[in-house]
Amino acid sequence: MDDINPIPFTFRIIAVVALMVLLVPVLIVVLAGLNSGEYLTFPPEGFSLRWIENFFTSPTFLPAFKLSFGLALATTIISTILGTLASIFLTRSTSKAREILRGLFFLPVVLPGVVLGLALYVFFIWSDVGLARSLAGLIIGHVLVTMPFVIATVTASLVDFDLSVEEAARSLGATPFQAFWKVTLPLITPGISAGSIFAFIVSFGQFELTLFLSTPDLQTLPLAIYSSLRYAFEPTAAAAGIFAICLVTVSTLISTRLSNLKKLLSRR
Amino acid sequence: MTDAKKGLSRRTLLKTGAAATGVSLFNINHVWSQDVIYDGGVFDADGAVLNIAGWGGYWEETQNKLVLDQFQKDFNCQVRYDSTFPWFPKYVAAGPENPPFAMNNWNMPEMFKTAGAGDYFMDVSEVRANVPNTSELWDFSMQTGIGITWAFSRYCYVFRTDVGITPKSFKDFWLPDYSGKRGTYITSNTLQMMFFMAACDQFGSGETDFEAGYKAMKDAMPMKISDFTGNMATLVERGEVNIAVQSDAEALLQKEKGVPVDLYYWDEYKGILTQTQTISKYADPMSKKLSFALLNRMLAPEFQSGFADTFWMRPTNKNAVLPEKMTALGVANTADATEGLHIPNWSAYLVDEIDIVETTNEIFGS
Amino acid sequence: MTDLTGGSPTPRQRPSWLSPNLWWLVIPAILFILLFFLIPVLSLFASSFDKAMPGQITFQGNFSWNNYERIFSRSLYYTAIWRSVWLGATVAGVCLVIGYPLAFIIARTFRAGTATLLTILVLSSMQLDMVIRLYGLMVLMGDKGLINTGLIALGITSEPLPLMYNEVGVIVGLVQVTLPFMVLSLIGSIRSINPALEEAARSLGSSRWHVMRTITWPLSLPGIYAGTLLVFALAISSYVVPALMGGWKVITLPIHIYQQIAEVGRWQFGAAVATLLFLTSLFAMALYVVALRRNAGGRV
Repeated sequence: MDDINPIPFTFRIIAVVALMVLLVPVLIVVLAGLNSGEYLTFPPEGFSLRWIENFFTSPTFLPAFKLSFGLALATTIISTILGTLASIFLTRSTSKAREILRGLFFLPVVLPGVVLGLALYVFFIWSDVGLARSLAGLIIGHVLVTMPFVIATVTASLVDFDLSVEEAARSLGATPFQAFWKVTLPLITPGISAGSIFAFIVSFGQFELTLFLSTPDLQTLPLAIYSSLRYAFEPTAAAAGIFAICLVTVSTLISTRLSNLKKLLSRR
Repeated sequence: MTDAKKGLSRRTLLKTGAAATGVSLFNINHVWSQDVIYDGGVFDADGAVLNIAGWGGYWEETQNKLVLDQFQKDFNCQVRYDSTFPWFPKYVAAGPENPPFAMNNWNMPEMFKTAGAGDYFMDVSEVRANVPNTSELWDFSMQTGIGITWAFSRYCYVFRTDVGITPKSFKDFWLPDYSGKRGTYITSNTLQMMFFMAACDQFGSGETDFEAGYKAMKDAMPMKISDFTGNMATLVERGEVNIAVQSDAEALLQKEKGVPVDLYYWDEYKGILTQTQTISKYADPMSKKLSFALLNRMLAPEFQSGFADTFWMRPTNKNAVLPEKMTALGVANTADATEGLHIPNWSAYLVDEIDIVETTNEIFGS
Repeated sequence: MTDLTGGSPTPRQRPSWLSPNLWWLVIPAILFILLFFLIPVLSLFASSFDKAMPGQITFQGNFSWNNYERIFSRSLYYTAIWRSVWLGATVAGVCLVIGYPLAFIIARTFRAGTATLLTILVLSSMQLDMVIRLYGLMVLMGDKGLINTGLIALGITSEPLPLMYNEVGVIVGLVQVTLPFMVLSLIGSIRSINPALEEAARSLGSSRWHVMRTITWPLSLPGIYAGTLLVFALAISSYVVPALMGGWKVITLPIHIYQQIAEVGRWQFGAAVATLLFLTSLFAMALYVVALRRNAGGRV
């Protein structure tokens, strides 16, 4: 590609600017988390792993991290399944309702998390089936705000999907399910995995919605960080962030490895 | 809206039902209003769950360490701690008969607001009758009638000592040298509410002379507005703010950490930032009994001294001993030191809160 | 999309076996949204027509326009509507302009390692807690922040530039937070463009920019459409960013909503502001979609 269609120079420059906007604040926080001083200060006073250690021994941060991780995982699974199925409908149905549905599925993102959180909380109390302040209620809220991301990404990748490939499989005698599973699904996997990564990250960092839906004795990481920052800019919060970054790096590496492997296998 | 209506009618039924039984059956049949008696001893709660609410983060960790861990062992109960402020909407969403927490730690404005929205909290006289340690408290700690204040701090300005100005009065915040380097908080923060009322008092005819307060806020612009104290502490530390409204607990903590700051106490208007516990009137009997027991422990001198040591907050128990680092800075727990401390007229503030919030936002946003 | 490869703009023919049993795919999602979104949120909107009563959350059925009258009688509120829309649109625009090249590079680089590395960088920026990331921005952009200290040390300016506690700060904060969503939305759709199309055009003598404008950009429209809408929606409904970066000078609708609901306890008035934000944002997005459709000639 570099010979035939090199990436324009202007593009490279702007991409560097974009990366700086994304990464400089992160870098500052990472350095502050590796700081040996008492406060979350910058420039750091010296290098130390004490805040990382503190994170692992903290009675608040580590359980909060685990809860957020589990919550994000459950949310991702549910919203990826619901969202992918809905996306297939949205891109393939000829029904007039399709446009309305597309809009409908996007709506939860438009409402501020605080409003959605309190509306759900009031609804859970009215309905009185034990969803208020429960883990299930929290997952429901998170699925609501992550599903639009899954649908947007998966739909975008399905719109360009060439249906004739699946039709070819059908004409060769595959059942609709087989054709989808063996032909379409592998081809739209990048879209689905992008959507689920989206869902995971949105759920993991969700703050405003969780404010009202959180369960009494369990605290998610963003809430734990926010409440600790109310008192002091404690470096442990930054250390929790460093750990989260390492985790996402490793999981992305593994998942790209896996999907590359799959691609290799499926091409043969 | 079918659900809303259903919820409403069910709730209304509950309410009238509770009222009716309260009158006719002397509270006998209703779990919510059953009388509970506690004498200060340890009892076996048989694994019961106690829902409480309080500040999170380091605060929560300290509570666990100083009282909650041991309390759960001693009473064989499970404490569920909710730190997701704000709590007020949770109370009103659930209604008085179905309180989300049996016990709650508040700053006063939100507590009064909740109390104003319904019959949520137990009267202080009933709490006093069941919590023996209340007999050792300074009088002002039971003044609200709905909650027991167990810790407090005084209001002050925290100022940087390296800019060459030392404030000598409340009004020195408005010195032209501090322009753009003054710090206060958003209207939902109790510190701003108190600062506003202090300004009303100092520049006007009294703490409810809101017009004078608005003018004072206007004159203090441009200011840096922060949403919580931790954020303000960093602004002061980085020198973006040279003088800020602060509670002395936070300011002393910052001073101890070596930031070049000092405190000016508001002697003209001795408002206090309080930590007050309420017990929910319609909590179930076991939760009520456990709440009495837990509150009794929080009012004990040992706990209050320990808390002062970590958070620099002052005790309300007459017999609590202050840590040396606080007495060294002139803090005392004596009748003199608590003389003239002032709890503002929060009810008057809350009546006009909507106007205050809107007008102050307009001033801050201009 | 097939029109470009197939040459004729006829709508895609759908095999008959696909359509009839498609509905079961979407029914779970519809039920979920209906039960947990539409019912709670419509109840909320209904309560905005109720009389405002501090601390009262249940529906009282006293119909009144009071809440809406109040919104339009105080400039505090109605200027916030315009400000929120303006901020959302600006942020979406900025994100598209600076995000597209990055997405293009990630999607098109031949070196798998580069793509993975860049993706990880984009993702890790999202993975750090938002409140803490904004703290990083404050260290950078405050009056005594790294940028201002640097500029003053270099003698470029003597007074610190107002980078924070104003709209600039809020825009930078929102771009920082929403840019990854833009980039990730774009990558997928740029990647699905067949490079052979571009190569063919290039070999026929089109300039690089011409190819970009006439082939790559139009073909990535689904991603652009998804990305800008997402970013707009996220930006317009954000509470934390304007609250921390705006220094209370940039009061947006979500801030008003939070104050009314959590602070003042006027649920009904907060609901009215929320309804208005919701409708405004839907209206803005509908306008955008219509305009885009017209431009794209029905491709999106």
